[in-house]
This record gives sequence, structure tokens and C-alpha cells, in this order.
Amino acid sequence: MNFMGIEQFPDYKVPGTQHQDFSPYESNGGSIVAIAGDDYVVIAADTRLSSGYTIHTRKQNKLFQLSGKTVLGSTGCWCDTLALTALVKARMQMYEHTHLKTMSTDAIAQMLSIIMYNKRFFPYYVSNVLAGLDNEGKGVVYSYDPIGHCERATYRAGGSAGALLQPVLDNQIGFKNMQLDGEIPKVSKDRAVAIATDTFISAAERDIYTGDAVCINIITKDGIEVKEVQLRKD
Amino acid sequence: MALAEICNISDAPYMKMRNFTTSDLEQESQRYVSNLMNPYVLQAPPFENPVENLNKIQASSDKTGIKIEFDHGTTTLGFKYKGGVILAVDSRATGGQFIGSQTMKKIVEINQFLLGTLAGGAADCVYWDRVLAKECRLHELRNKERISVAAASKIMANIAHEYKGMGLSMGMMLAGYDKRGPGLYYVDSEGSRTPGNVFSVGSGSIYAFGVLDSGYHWDLEDEAAQELGRRAIYHATYRDAYSGGIVRVYHMTPNGWINISNTDCMELHYKYEEEKKNKKH
Amino acid sequence: MYAGHQVIPQQFWSNGPAPGQFYNFTGGYNGLATGSANQCKEYTTPGLFGTQHSSSPITTGTSVVGIKFDGGVMIAADNLVSYGSLARYQDVQRVFKVNNKTIMGAGGDFADFQSLKRSIDQKIVEDLCHGDDLEMKPKSLYNWLTRVFYNRRSRFNPLWLEMVVGGLDNGEPFLGHVDLRGRAYEDDVVATGFGKHLALPLVREQLVEGKKLTQEQASDVLRKCMEVLYYRDCRSMPKYSVVVCTKDGSVVQGPFNVNENWQLATMVKGY
Repeated sequence: MNFMGIEQFPDYKVPGTQHQDFSPYESNGGSIVAIAGDDYVVIAADTRLSSGYTIHTRKQNKLFQLSGKTVLGSTGCWCDTLALTALVKARMQMYEHTHLKTMSTDAIAQMLSIIMYNKRFFPYYVSNVLAGLDNEGKGVVYSYDPIGHCERATYRAGGSAGALLQPVLDNQIGFKNMQLDGEIPKVSKDRAVAIATDTFISAAERDIYTGDAVCINIITKDGIEVKEVQLRKD
Repeated sequence: MALAEICNISDAPYMKMRNFTTSDLEQESQRYVSNLMNPYVLQAPPFENPVENLNKIQASSDKTGIKIEFDHGTTTLGFKYKGGVILAVDSRATGGQFIGSQTMKKIVEINQFLLGTLAGGAADCVYWDRVLAKECRLHELRNKERISVAAASKIMANIAHEYKGMGLSMGMMLAGYDKRGPGLYYVDSEGSRTPGNVFSVGSGSIYAFGVLDSGYHWDLEDEAAQELGRRAIYHATYRDAYSGGIVRVYHMTPNGWINISNTDCMELHYKYEEEKKNKKH
Repeated sequence: MYAGHQVIPQQFWSNGPAPGQFYNFTGGYNGLATGSANQCKEYTTPGLFGTQHSSSPITTGTSVVGIKFDGGVMIAADNLVSYGSLARYQDVQRVFKVNNKTIMGAGGDFADFQSLKRSIDQKIVEDLCHGDDLEMKPKSLYNWLTRVFYNRRSRFNPLWLEMVVGGLDNGEPFLGHVDLRGRAYEDDVVATGFGKHLALPLVREQLVEGKKLTQEQASDVLRKCMEVLYYRDCRSMPKYSVVVCTKDGSVVQGPFNVNENWQLATMVKGY
């Protein structure tokens, strides 16, 4: 065998070595819930980092504070999450230096979509939920698919227990399929925090990748309040 | 080392310092944001034939639990008639078996005289529609007139052709109104581009066609045309599991597009049920 | 593509092969073609996924265990590098002092580690040359490793390693773990390989929420970990080294021997 003028050595068989197929992706679990109101937005994520049946750490924060009024929750393949969030933070800093202002939540949402689409053919394996206050101070939630399709919503669950939690939110916050007279009732900030906490307590019961603790960020015009509630550790 | 030089192996890559230097990483990180500068430059995958090889990575998904599911859109239709173009779409986005969203916007408002519908990969359609919007605006600025639907759809077809075989998934209709009157084109990720009077795209399209073809007529009145589109999508949502949510109807008139209605298909269901009952008596 | 849109001017045939060579679509190797002699990407050949790489580690080190204690961090690993199932190199250091603030330990493919170590050494030399008394902090090394590993995995040519980085970051103990994909996390106790299953529970049992271990306790529990690992991990040996980082600097201690006790072997019956 000769390639580019360099002799190729035959593969030696070494007893006891195992041929392992390399997969660039790994599922590290974790769930996110975000709920937006008129003047607040609540985003919560659990703190368990695992792969397979191994729990790596029980205190991994998965919420990334991007600005004073925007928080990104990101789960999935943790290495992709790290790369993506580092990139977003760097680009935001560049924006700040060129434009002398902080990126608005809507701008971040659009940028995140474009950055994720850049890897269309080798995607980031992540589930992103972006929560923040828009230019009018209203709460917004953006959710993404792995290649950057972005949708604005008022509440959203994502991550490993996303499919488990979204129906709960549809019922408790969206009041879906209820015979209501007139408007859908507004959800208060405290109620939103309570619902977010409850959904995680439920998720910890039924999803092996969700548990340990839930980190809650409450974003209002006065800043970001951070809370932590303990969950099941098994 | 002299021998190495004589043998010319000191130039070989494996003789050089492995440098994970700052500039190396900087170059790498530049590649991650290439499309912020130029939307056409996406990062190339580290393997050939992404369609096949991305599937290979996912092949062991039962072991690793890794399954990348993109949001997919579903029933869309559009037709030309004497009063312009009608576009009607559902709003369900599915990632595999899971309904990712019931409120997705499958009609992209490119500008006042151009609408695009969205079927297939949601991210693909939305991203390239945005690029198209930029392209159309630049055309306006350069030529002091609006871009024709034919030209706009050609740009989209060119983009699709450029990325042919890479696994993009798009089936979109572009509807607009220009000097030539109402325009309707179908463009897909295979690179094909077809003008036509009646189109329906997506998994529910067969159901929509049934209703659409039986009621379609060039000389429809505005209201009847809008109702035809709405009814066709409703019937698709009723029979196709991948379609549902809100039925959105848009009308492209000589003065630009108008959003006619966004109705939950549950509401439509009871409305049509009622109509059926009344007919019987 | 469209006239006037060449925002990033493309070099003519920039990713193409050198004359007389074959075009390898997006393969990792383009060292010769770009002509940048000082920039060397890893050497690869075309194959499945465009390029083929060694996909199994050959000369390997096994578990590394790291613990934070009151005022510092310590990392332990045995001194064995195996060649498949052969206990090939029996006196190899796998834990290192990077500088007075930073320590590390490595498990996985030892060749990959040695190659990486040269780059780390180079960084330390650069730090020294500046002569400004600024040293690389553990967090910098940790972060740098995540980027290197992530970039390599993104090119389908991973450095088959699991690394533990520790040290004092502005006086605060720091302990982190990075794996071959660039997945990284910090914790009070981390382990790689078999240690994740065998050692972590042992240490977590000692840890009381809100209470820190003393250096002596940490050292004891590490000894216990290495003992258990020696009993149960086929690719381990009884000799191990520990690197400790406190405010007084970093030191590699050892090699130590684990307390072997095979008395209980006679009690095991039933096979």
C-alpha cells in the first residue's frame, strides 16, 4: 500500500483491544421548560448530565445567561451545547463591540437559527429553548430543531423529557381543548414558576435522564432571579 | 535529521508539529459562522455524501438513543384564478411521531408581492426563503422594480440545484403578482421548477387535490376561491395524520397579499358538520 | 455564486489537492495543497466517511480519579500503560504537574496523549518565555482541551482520551473532566473509565454536602479507590502516583503501592 508516497503500515492485531466505532454524537440528556408571560419569562432546566446509564455530574447548569434579559437553555449532545453556546457568546460580544449595544432577544433568536443552520450537513445534536424579554418587555420563548428551525411560542418544553412535558404545559398553560368562555386565562409569574417546578418533579419520576435538581431563571425587567429546587436523585 | 531531509520526509505532514494553536482554532471557529457573512457558504461535513453517511451515524440510534429528527411540514396548496393566487396551508410540524408544533407558520411572507409555502424540512425552507427575501430586495434596489415571480423562483431553483444531493428537503410554492399577472411556481430540493395553475404539496396533498380539483374553476369568485382552499386543507387535516392545527388562507391580489383567515381545524370540522346536516334536511 | 456576493473571496482551488493527487471531498487532509507549511492538520487517508482514522485505542491507560479537598485538588492514576491485554509499560506517569496552579491526569490512548502533551509543554514554555509570572490556570487548560477535542471529533478523527484537569483557579479548587468528544464538566470528584463505576461511589460516600474533605481524608479515599480499581480492573496495576495541587504549588507524589489483600480470595466459593 502506498499513498502519497508514504508507506502504509498494516493494521496490527493486538489481542485484547476492542474495535470501537466512533460516534461523534452522544446523548447526555436533560430537559428544559420555558413559560412566557406579559412581563416575565421563566426558564428551567434540570442539572443532571448523563450518558447511557452513567450519571456524570448532578450539578451541571444547562441555562446560559446570554444577556440581562435573554437566557438560552440547551441540552442534547453536551459537547455540541458547549461549542454552540461559546460561539453565540463570542458573536454577541462582537456585536456589542461593533454596535455599542446588547443584542435583543429577537436578534439572538435569529442569529442562533443561522449559526445552527451553518452545520446543516453535520448538525449540532441539541435541543434549544431561548427565553427572554422582547423589545416591548414582553416575555417570549423560541424553540429550535437541531438544524435551526425556530418558532416563537409562549411556552415550550424541550430535551429528553420534552415529549413528556409539553402535553402538561398544553393543559396547564395553553388550556387546550377546554370549553372556555372568552379569553385564555393569563398565567401569573408565581404560577408559572410553580408549574415549571411541578413538571420537573413529574419528569424526574418518569425520565431517567432528568433529575437531581432543577435550576430556574426568572427574567423580568429588574433582572434575572435564579432559584434551585431539589429533585429525585435516583 | 539530515537523513530525513535528504529523504524528503521532513516535509511530510506527520513530521510537523501538531499545533493546536490559537490561529488554528481561530480558523476553525471562522468556519462555524461562515454563513453569517455569506448565506450561501455552509460548513461542509467531514464526510462525503451527507445523505447516506448522516444516516449511518443514526443507524445505531437504538443503542445510543441518538436520533436527529428535523421538523417537517405537511399539507400546502396553491392555485391561480381570475382574482389572483390563493395559498392555503395547515400548521402542524412533526419530528418523527411527535407533533413538535401545532402553530407553525407554513407561509413565509417574503415581501408584499411574494409568498412562499413550506413543505419538507422546515429549517431548509425558512432559511432559504430568508436568503431569497434578501435577494429580492437587492433586485429591487438595483433595478428600481420588483422582481418577477419567475426570476424569484429561478433563484430558489438555483439554490436547490447547488445543494442537490446533499440532502436538503424542500417542496415549496412561490406565489406572487407581477407585470405578467398572478404567478405560481413549484420549486423543490431536487432543483425542479414548474409554473402551473394548481399545486398541492406534502403528505396530505392527495386529499387536498381531491377537493381542490372537484371545485376548481378559473372564474371562481374571491370568496368561493378562498373557501375552496380552506376546505381542501381541512379535508387533508382530517385524513392525514401528519397534517393539522390551524388552516391559514392567504390571497395574493394585484395589490399584494392579504391574510384571509387562520382557523383552527376543529372549528372548521364542526362548521362543515353543521353544513352537512342542514343540507340533508 | 451570484455576482457581487463573494463576501468571502475564495482562493482559487483552495481546498483542492496538490497537482497529481486525488481530490478528497472535504477530507481532513489538505496540508500540502494549501501550502501553509507550518499549519499541519492530522494525516489521514481517504476511506469510509471520506477519511479513515484509527478507531480503536491500542496503548492505553486506564482509570484516573480526581478529588477536590479543602484548599486543593489531587488526581491519581496507576503507572501502567497496557498494549491490548498486555501489561506492557509498567512505570509510566499518567498524572502530571502542568505548573504550580495546574495539574492533570490522562486515560485512554497514550500515543494521543503524548502528542497532546507536547503541545501543552510548548504552551508552558511560552508562558515561561513571557516571564510575566502569569501561569496557565486550570480553567484555561480545561477549556483549551475541550476545543481541541471537539475540533478533532468534528473532523471524525478523535483524540482517544479522557482527561482530568485540576488546580487552583484564583485560590479556588477546580476540577474538571474532558472526554474525546469535547464533552466537559466540573465536579467535586471526577473519574474516567472504570473509575467512573468503581471509584465514584466510594468517594461520593465520603462526601457530605457542604463539608469539605481534608487533604489527608482525600488521600486516604484515593488510596482506597486505587485498591478497589486494582482488584476489579484487568488493565490496572497496584502501583499508582498522585499529583497534588495546593496553594504551595503542585507536586507529583509516589509511586505508592496499594494495600493488596488476597486473603478474602479463599472465601470466594461457588465456581
